Amino acid sequence: MSRATRIRTALEQAFAPVELEVEDESEAHRGHAGYQDGGESHFRVRMRAAAMAGQSRIARHRAVHAAIGPDLMGEIHALALDLDAP
Amino acid sequence: MTDAKSRIDETVKAHDVVLYMKGTKEMPQCGFSSRVAGVLNYMGVDYTDVNVLADDEIRQGIKDYSDWPTIPQLYVKGEFVGGCDIVTEMTLSGELDTMFDENGVAYDKDAADKIREANA
Repeated sequence: MSRATRIRTALEQAFAPVELEVEDESEAHRGHAGYQDGGESHFRVRMRAAAMAGQSRIARHRAVHAAIGPDLMGEIHALALDLDAP
Repeated sequence: MTDAKSRIDETVKAHDVVLYMKGTKEMPQCGFSSRVAGVLNYMGVDYTDVNVLADDEIRQGIKDYSDWPTIPQLYVKGEFVGGCDIVTEMTLSGELDTMFDENGVAYDKDAADKIREANA
């Protein structure tokens, strides 16, 4: 299963988002630090979920990091997050 | 407290604004660090940069200190503010200005407005 799919699955299960985009933008970082052969190193997530309401920015990011889990977080180099309530 | 944690604790409390980054404010080594350093440089903020690539103990220690898995990390008056996404969002929303105002951190308001105009 691709890392993008694993990220998507983890976030869907944790937050039941109304909008979720998981983009592998590794190719844009080719040659930069952290680029891995085959891509799957740099991801961008845009998520709108009711669970994000009333939380600070830091709390939202922490909740997403926790849902993705340390193993998968450790495999990827970068995760850009755009998180909000619907 | 481990040695790394106590060193970090001293640094973030000794300086009003501290950026833990890959590379230096003059020569960032990563696009995300570069973006945050670029904002602070452009806004004329007097800040302390710590190059985590120069110190493995700090590189891991800063993640443990803030319970935050990525670098860069911005601290104001000893408080963790966020990483690249959060600092970018706060810059564009004006929240960063407010936080600097509230903490007595000097910055160029016109430059901050120019960043917002350029990204409007």
